[in-house]
Amino acid sequence: MNRIGDNATVTAGLSLKRVHKSFGSIEVLKDINLNIKGGEFVVFVGPSGCGKSTLLRLIAGLEEVTAGEIIISGRDVTDTDPSRRGIAMVFQSYALYPHMSVAENMGFSLKVARRPKDELRRKVEKAAGTLRLTDYLDRRPGQLSGGQRQRVAIGRAIVRDPDVFLFDEPLSNLDAELRVEMRIEIARLHRELGNTMVYVTHDQTEAMTLADKIVVLRAGRIEQVGTREELYDDPDNIFVAGFIGSPKMNFFSARLDGGEIEIGGHRLPGPAVKTLSKGEITLGVRPEHLRLAEKGEPFFPFRVKFAEFLGGATYLYGDVGDGALCTIASDRKTQAKAGTELRVMADPKFMTAFDDKGVRVR
Amino acid sequence: MPAQTDISDSILEVPPPRRRRRRDWTGLLYVAPALVLVAVFFLIPLGMSIWMSFHAWPLIGVPRWIGLDNYARLWGDTSFWSALVFTIQYTIAATVGLLGVAFVLALMVQGEGRAIAFYRTAYFLPVVTGFASASLLWAWLSNVDAGLFSPLAQDLGMTDGRVNILATFTPAFWSVTIMVIWKMAGFYMVIIMSGLQAIPTDYQEAARIDGASWGQRFRWITLPLIRRPFALALILAVAGSMLAFDQFYIILNGGPQNQTVTVVYRIFNESFVSFRLGYGAALSVVLLVILLVLSVVQLWLLRDKGDQS
Ligand SMILES: Nc1ncnc2c1ncn2[C@@H]1O[C@H](COP(=O)(O)OP(=O)(O)O)[C@@H](O)[C@H]1O
Ligand SMILES: [Mg+2]
Repeated sequence: MNRIGDNATVTAGLSLKRVHKSFGSIEVLKDINLNIKGGEFVVFVGPSGCGKSTLLRLIAGLEEVTAGEIIISGRDVTDTDPSRRGIAMVFQSYALYPHMSVAENMGFSLKVARRPKDELRRKVEKAAGTLRLTDYLDRRPGQLSGGQRQRVAIGRAIVRDPDVFLFDEPLSNLDAELRVEMRIEIARLHRELGNTMVYVTHDQTEAMTLADKIVVLRAGRIEQVGTREELYDDPDNIFVAGFIGSPKMNFFSARLDGGEIEIGGHRLPGPAVKTLSKGEITLGVRPEHLRLAEKGEPFFPFRVKFAEFLGGATYLYGDVGDGALCTIASDRKTQAKAGTELRVMADPKFMTAFDDKGVRVR
Repeated sequence: MPAQTDISDSILEVPPPRRRRRRDWTGLLYVAPALVLVAVFFLIPLGMSIWMSFHAWPLIGVPRWIGLDNYARLWGDTSFWSALVFTIQYTIAATVGLLGVAFVLALMVQGEGRAIAFYRTAYFLPVVTGFASASLLWAWLSNVDAGLFSPLAQDLGMTDGRVNILATFTPAFWSVTIMVIWKMAGFYMVIIMSGLQAIPTDYQEAARIDGASWGQRFRWITLPLIRRPFALALILAVAGSMLAFDQFYIILNGGPQNQTVTVVYRIFNESFVSFRLGYGAALSVVLLVILLVLSVVQLWLLRDKGDQS
C-alpha cells in the first residue's frame, strides 16, 4: 500500500496468484502471477488473442477463474460478485446504455443501489465536471461523438468510486488524433484520482506512454513485467525485445566468439555476455543504436532500400550482408539514396544477445 | 508552409445537379411486382368491401344501393356488439398469455448448446401446424367421451364423473385460449428472442458491474431495449386475436349458447350463412377501422420517448 497526494489516502493493490483460465479444453491463461501496488498504472500489452481481455474480465469477475486467486485491497475476491469487488470497468465498446441520458448512464450504479437523489446528482455532476461533460448531461449516447462517449464511459466508472479502474482497449475506436488526446486525459485522471488502474491494449505506444508498470503477455503467459525503461533497455526475451519499441529492434544471426561477434563475415566488438563465450546467437540492436562507422572502425555493410524522412529523424530501411532486414534511425544529415551501401556499427553496450530459443543471454 | 487557400467564399454559383429521369423509371419497375401484389390482394378487395357495404348484396340477385343503411343497422345490432365484447375479452386473455409465455420461453432458450437448440425447435413446432388441424386435435382432446382431458381428470380423481369442459363457458373459453397459447407462443418467442439477442452482452455486463440485480437489469436494460420487437409482437398478437375465428368455429361452434361467437364469426355467419354480403362487408370495414385504431394506439404507447428530443 502506498500513499497518494497530501490527503494520504490509502489505495488498493491487486494480486493474481497462479491464475489459470480455460474455455472448455482450451487453456487461454496459464499460471498468471502478478502483484500490483496501490495507485499503480499497469498496462497489459500483447498481440491480439493473447488473453488480455480475458485476464481483465477475470479481475472484474465477469468470468470465473479455472484455478487461482484474485486479491483486491487485501481481500480474496475470487468468488465475489463483480459489483462487490471494488472495481469499475470501461469497455472497448463503451457499453453505454443507449436508452438513458448521459446523467442516467453515469448515475446508474447509484440508482440501482437506491442512493438518495441528491447524492446521485452531486456525484454525477462532479464526475461530469472533471470530464468536461456538464453541458451534455441530458443527451443520449447516440448524440455524442466518439471522444465524448469515451468520457461518459469513464465518468460512469468514476461515479462508482472504485479501488481499481479496469480499461479494455478504451481508445481503439477513436481516430489517431483523439487517441493521443484521450491518452493524455487518462494519464491526467490517474494523477488526479490516484487509483490503481489496469489498462489493456495491443498498442505498445499506449503502453509506453501510460504505464508505471508494463505486463507483456503472449499466448496466455506473462513474458515480462517491468517499467518501460526496463522492458526497453533490458528485455528478457526476443518477443519482448521485438514487441516493445517502434520502429522494431533489428535482429541478426551472428556468431559469438570471445568478446567479438561475426555478422555476415564481418567481425566487430560484441556484447558482454558472461554465460556464453562461443556459439550462434541472435543479435538485437535498436534502430537508433546503429550508426555510421568512422574511418578505421570495424563495421558491417548495410544496403539502403529506401529512406523515410520524418522531420526530426530519418529512418533508413534496407538489409545487411546476409539478407536480414534492418532499420536505422539516423539524423536528417544522413542523405542516403536507395542502393547506397553504408558502413554501420553499434556500440557493444547497446547490443543484446538471445539464444536459439529466443531467451536473453546476459 | 502556407495553408491551402479556402475557396468557399469565392464560389458564385453551383451548377444544378443533372436529372436522371431514366433511373426514376427503373426504380418504379423494381417495386412494380410488390405494388401489383398489394393492389390485387389488398387495395382492390378493400375497395370492393367498402363498395359492397353500401349495398344490399344477396348471393343471387341484383345488388341494390342503400347508402349508409348497413352501418345504421349495425349500430343497433346487439349480436354484433356482444361478439365484439367477447372478442376483446378473448384478445386480452390471449395476448397477455401469449406474450407472457413467449417472454419466459425466450429467456429460457437464450443461451447456446444442443439441448437449448432442441427446446427452441420444440417450442416453435406447434406454430407450423395449421390453425384448423390444431383446433381439430384440441376438439378431440377436449371431447367428453373419446378425448383425453375429461377421462383423465376423472381417472385421477380430480372430478366426480365426466365433466364436459366444452359445455360451460369458462372452461370452454380457457380451453381454446390455452390451445392458442400452446400453438402460437413459439412464434412470439422467436420475435422476442431476436430482440433479446440484439442486446449486446456488454450492456448486461456493465450493469452487473454497476451492481444491478437480475430483476433490475431486466427492468431497466432488457425491457427498454426490446421495446421495438415487443411492439411488433404486441400488434401481431392483438390483431391476430381480434381476427380469431377457426378455433371457436371448429372446437366450440360458437357455443355454448352462442357465447363464443367472435366478430369474424359474425361476419362469416352474415355473409356465408345468411348471405347478407353487403352487411357482412360493413361489419368487416368496421373491424378494420377498430384494428387500425388499436394499432396506432399501441405504437403511440410504445414509442421511444427520447427520440423526439
Ligand atoms: N468466451 C470464450 N469462449 C471461448 N474462447 C474464448 C472466449 N473468450 C475468449 N476466448 C479465446 O481466448 C483467447 C484470448 O482472448 P482475449 O482475451 O479476448 O484476447 P485479447 O483481448 O488479448 O485479444 C482467444 O483465443 C479467444 O478466442
Ligand atoms: Mg481484447
